[in-house]
Order: sequence, then C-alpha cells, then structure tokens
Amino acid sequence: MRKLIALAFVFVSIALASPAAAQQDAEALRRELDQMRKNFETMQQEYRKSMDAMAERLRRLETQSSEGAGSRAGAAPAPAPSQTTVQTPASAIDLLSPRPPFGLYGQRASGQLLFDMGVAGDFVGNLVQRNVDKASAGTFRGQENRFFPREVELSLFGQIDPFARAEVRIEAGEDARGTATNLSLAEANITLMTLPFNTQLKLGQMRNRYGWSNQIHEHDLPWTDRPGVLRAYFSDNGVVEKGAELTWVADLPFYLEALVGAFNGDNDVAFGRGRISEPLLTGRLRTFFELGDEHGIQLGTSVAHGLTADRRRSTLPGFDVRYKYRPEGWLHPLVTAGGEGVWSIRRAEVTRDVTIDTDADGIPDTTLTLGNHRTDTRFGYYVYGELQPFRRWAFGARYDETEQLVRGREKAFEPYVTFWPSEFLRFRGGYKLTERSSDVGFSTNQATARHVDEWFLQATFILGAHPAHPF
Amino acid sequence: MTSTRSMRMLGALLCAAIVFFVTTAHAADKVRVVTTISDLKSLTEAVGGDLVDVESLTRGTQNAHEAEIRPTMMLKLRRADVLITNGLALDSWVDVAVNGANNSNIVSGAPGRIDVSPGLPILDVPGGRVDRSMGDVHPHGNPHFSLDPGLAPQITQNILDGLLRRVPQHRSAFEKNRQAFLARLEESMAGWTKTMAPFRGAKVVIYHPQWIYFLTRFGLVQAATLEDRPGIPASPSHLVRVIEQMKIEKIKVIIVEPWNDRKLAARVAEEAGAKAVVLASMVGGVKGADTYIDALDYNVRTLAEALK
Repeated sequence: MRKLIALAFVFVSIALASPAAAQQDAEALRRELDQMRKNFETMQQEYRKSMDAMAERLRRLETQSSEGAGSRAGAAPAPAPSQTTVQTPASAIDLLSPRPPFGLYGQRASGQLLFDMGVAGDFVGNLVQRNVDKASAGTFRGQENRFFPREVELSLFGQIDPFARAEVRIEAGEDARGTATNLSLAEANITLMTLPFNTQLKLGQMRNRYGWSNQIHEHDLPWTDRPGVLRAYFSDNGVVEKGAELTWVADLPFYLEALVGAFNGDNDVAFGRGRISEPLLTGRLRTFFELGDEHGIQLGTSVAHGLTADRRRSTLPGFDVRYKYRPEGWLHPLVTAGGEGVWSIRRAEVTRDVTIDTDADGIPDTTLTLGNHRTDTRFGYYVYGELQPFRRWAFGARYDETEQLVRGREKAFEPYVTFWPSEFLRFRGGYKLTERSSDVGFSTNQATARHVDEWFLQATFILGAHPAHPF
Repeated sequence: MTSTRSMRMLGALLCAAIVFFVTTAHAADKVRVVTTISDLKSLTEAVGGDLVDVESLTRGTQNAHEAEIRPTMMLKLRRADVLITNGLALDSWVDVAVNGANNSNIVSGAPGRIDVSPGLPILDVPGGRVDRSMGDVHPHGNPHFSLDPGLAPQITQNILDGLLRRVPQHRSAFEKNRQAFLARLEESMAGWTKTMAPFRGAKVVIYHPQWIYFLTRFGLVQAATLEDRPGIPASPSHLVRVIEQMKIEKIKVIIVEPWNDRKLAARVAEEAGAKAVVLASMVGGVKGADTYIDALDYNVRTLAEALK
C-alpha cells in the first residue's frame, strides 16, 4: 500500500513538475529561435547588400562590355536547333561570369574575332585594238587584251580600344602581263577618335582624302577605271601616302569638315621628295546640303602641296561635286552625278644653249647652258552621271578631259552598265573611247595609240564584312 | 557716317551672336539624343519627355539595313550627347557616320553610346554554320525586336539606364515618364490582344523577314517570305512556289514593308487570291503611325481587317 502511495506521489510530482520544465524549455527555445531569426535576418540583409552591390557592378560591366563590343556582346549565345528559336534568359551563373572587356577570351566563341574581316576581289578584262596593245597604251598599261585580278584585298578593321580604331588592308594584284601577283600593304592606319576639340587624327599609310574619288578603293569605284585626271597627275592608283591627317568638324548649323595632313610625299608623279622633313601638305574642306529629303549635294575643295624629287614646288588644288537624287522610299538613288577638277601647278626648269664668242674672233667657241624656271599649269577634270531605275541595274557614263603633264591632251568617254545580283556581287560592262592629241608621244614599240577603243568587263565580289561608304 | 555704319554693323553682329547663343543655350538645356531608327526615337521621347531632344538618322519609310551615310548624319552626331542604336547588326552602318562626326561622346564604348538589344529574347538566331548563301543573314538573330510591344519594357529600361549614365539627376523624371508610357502601352496591348485573338494560328506571308516578333506576340504564323532569302530578290520560281503554297494553305495576307516592292507583292497577292497590306515596319512608315503606340495600333488594325 505504501509502495502504491509512493508511486502515486511520484507520478503526481512528475505530472505537476513537467509543465514547469516544458515551460522553461519552451522559453529557452523561443529565445534561441529569436536569436537565430535575428541572425538569419542580419545574414539575409548582408547577403542582400552584397547581391545588390554585385548586381550593380554586373550591370555596369555589362553596359560597358555591351557597348565596348557592340551588339555582338549583347547578343545571347547563338547555337539553336531551328531557324526560329527563342533565346532563354541568362541564368544567374551566366550573369556572374566575366564579360568583355574583362573576359574577352573566355567570352568569345570558337573562331570569333574581335574585329571585322572581309575580302574583296576585283577582276578586270579588257579588249583593245592591236596597235594599242603593241604600244601598251590602254587604260591598264601592260594588261591589254587580258583578264586579270586587278585587286584582291584583305581588310581587317575594328576598335583597338575605346579610344582608337585601326584598319589594315593587304592587297594582291597582277600589275603586268605574265608577272607574279604582287602582295602589298595597301593601307594600315589608326584613328584616334577621342581627341579634344572635336578633332580626329589618322596616322599611318592611307588613301589620302584628296577630292572625292581618291579615297575610294578600286573595287568600290562607280567605274571600271580611275578617272584620267587622277591617273595623269598622281598615278594609276591615285595618291596613297604615309603620314597623318587631322580632321575637325565645325559646330555650325551646316556640315563642314576641315582636314589638314602631312605626308612623306612618296608619290613620284606629283611629288617624290619622300621625306617628312620636307612634307607633302594636304588640306580639304567638305560641306554637304540636303535639298529636302530626296536631294543631297556634297561640295569639296582640296589642295596638296609638296616638293618633287629634284626639290621643285608642286601644288595641286582641286574641287569636287557630287549630287544624288533618291525618291522617297527608294532603296537606291535614281540619279547620281558628280565631277572633279584638278590643277597641277609645278615649277619646271627650262634650259637653252647659248654659244659665246669668247675671243671676239667672230667664231663661237663655247656653249653655255642657261637655266631658267617657269611654272607649268595643267588642268584636268571629269564629270559623270548614273541612272539607277532598278535596284539591281545602273547605267552611267563618264567624260574625262586632261591636259597631260608633259604635253598633249587626252579625252575619253566611257559609258557603262552595272548589275548587282546581290549586295555582295557585282558585274560591270563598259566601253571607253579615248582620243589623244597628236603630240602625246605614244610610240612605244613603234606603235601609236591616238585613238583607243576599249571594252571592259569587271567582276567584283565581297566576302565577309565590308564597311558602308559615305555619301 | 563711317562710324554710324560701323556701329550698325556691330549691332547687327551682336544681335546675330545673341540669337545664336540663345538658340544654342536653349538646345543645351536638353539632352541631345540621336537614334539610328525612328522606333527608338519614339521610345526615347517616351522615356525622356521634355528633357531630351531626339533625332533619328533614318526615317520610317527607309530600309534601316541599307542607310546611305550622309554628312547630315554626321552633323546630327557631331552635336549628340547620346547615340542610341538598335544593335544586332541592323544599324552597324552608324559607325561610319560616327567616324566622320568627331564626337568622342558617342564612339563605341563611350558612356553616351546605348545599345538597346542586351537582355532581350532574340528570335531567328541561326543555328550551325552561317554564311551568305543564306542571304543577308543576321548572325546574332533577327534585329527587328522593336515590333514586339511586349519587349518595350526591356528596351525602355535599357534606354533609361543609358540616359542615366549621362544625366543621373533626371532619374525620377525618366522613371515617371517610362512608367506612364508603359501604362499606356499596357492599356493598348489589352485592346490589341483582344483584336488579334480571333486570328491566333492564322498564317501570313511576309515580304522581308522582319515581322517575326510581331507575329509571335499575337500568335500568327509566318508561312513564307517573298524574298527568296533575306535581302535576295525573289526569283520567278520562288514566287510560283509561294503562290502555290498560299493557295493550298488558304493564306489571306502578304505583309509588305513601306520600302519594299509593293507592286510585286500586289501581283503575288492577286495571283493567290489574297491581299497585300503595307504595315509600318518603323514609326513613321505609314501615315498616322507617328508614335510607337500609333504605329503598332495601325499594324494591328490593318492586319486584323485584312485577315477577316
């Protein structure tokens, strides 16, 4: 009985004691939980701050990288199973991975370059009369009655960094019948784009911005050959020099670009001094007006001044005009017209022999060569017009008239038709009639070429990237 | 006498200078923004409101792929604080104009250069090898995303972020403008969705592949293109195939861009017993499509009418 009473007492004690202990435990647990909750909230806040900071940094990096690398960086990864696919949003891991310019190598896909690359191929065929062929007096001297690669050009261009861009063009072409195809550096230059006072500096080897057509590459010209005045006063390839050009765009209500340049003067037809210490200096002013939305006219004036190989002054002022009419909604201009005129003003030495009777015996006994200087001024120009009634077809003609540097005059008329199967492929056919004055001394190989009939065929392709051309 | 004349001339010069500086100062109050296409002009105006002065380099009636680089573009860019581009190689021609503008604010990588394409779900991203046998293909995907009103929030966010890099003090005004614009767009969107609902799954033929975002948004299906491949003119045999397909699948509509060959589209539509409709491929592409919302509204109404 006592045992039973003791057992009951124990049970009752336990029963009475348990709620108090449980209450104490619950209290302790609550405190612990509160503490953990506080810790969790603190941690959460810290993580949130870290994530916000990281997200902000990421946003800045993405913005910089997307603009630094152009739209390419902005585009999501390409691989997709079908033609029409939706890119999935980037995952958190994607977002946290490095982006250009901080992780260019890791970001780019296999084979992806950080600059643009393109190849332009330009093939020309020409047919001329036998006497012109014999005299090597066609437009493409030494290449008469041949089909040949005039210019195959590899272009590499793009941003070097946020401050400068570069352009390199390597070209190969057949210069003369039966010779090996020569590889040469056509252009290699950098342009500093973030200079103060809205200026830009281009350094290196470049096609000079002299007139309109000189800066256009052979394969992009609207004609098969370069205009006669540039060929006569500079070279068959125009003027390409090593040096620097500084441009400034005026803050005016109309467009006005001013350019000054200093170059070696390697062009041996117009200059030839070849020293930056006695530089070829160039200048150009260009303006543009829109007459409504459909008409645009560009006016330019240029000058180049340097020394010839024998240190005589040579100055070539010139002007250029270009007009386009593009009806509203058209993808191409209906009418394009333009022209350039160039003067060649150069000092030349004139000598004459004078016989002198030194001993006054009435018989001349010595001859003296007297030298004198004079200024030779020559002028040449071309005008052209092109009609493009259809997107893929254009019809045009160019007229050239040039006073030759030594003597004589050359006139040429060249109608042509151009067909573009696509934006990247072009065929052109043309005819050129050239008349040379009688005192132009073409008599190589005992042949003359005063009257030249030429037929041209040109095929041009572009692989890869090709920059758009200004007006 | 001479003195009086000199004074008059000086006065005239001073007046001219004052007019010039007042005009310049007025312009200087606002952020000068240049966009490559008119859709971005309209969206930037929606975000920037009175605080921005926006010009577009191309018009809505032009093909933005093949813009002619005019010196007047360089003049606009010469004065710009911000340049907004579409990206995805639609307007890569702008670099040539930027090079001629001598403005360091907007060269590639500068804070004043905004590309609106990051963060968007891009369609038509070519898989596998890409080359020009596929036509004038965009290797990074179809760049005509601005035709999807559902992407306007992200596009305007990108514009907003870019503008704030130049003028962070206008954050609240820009955000308020953007929210107001998105509210208007959402309201219009409800109407457009309702209008287009009966035509979900309908097939259409398009001239140039630039409508995929618009069609996808409203549940329409692009059955064929009049262009053989992007940028390549249609061959007669291709057109015959398209006409045959339209007849078999009872396709009622050909969508044409304002700059494309409307006569050809009309001829094909006539042969196939369908209609050719010109939609605004950009803001300003057709009359009455003067803002982003107006352009989409025009497109929805015109297409719905043609599909009936």
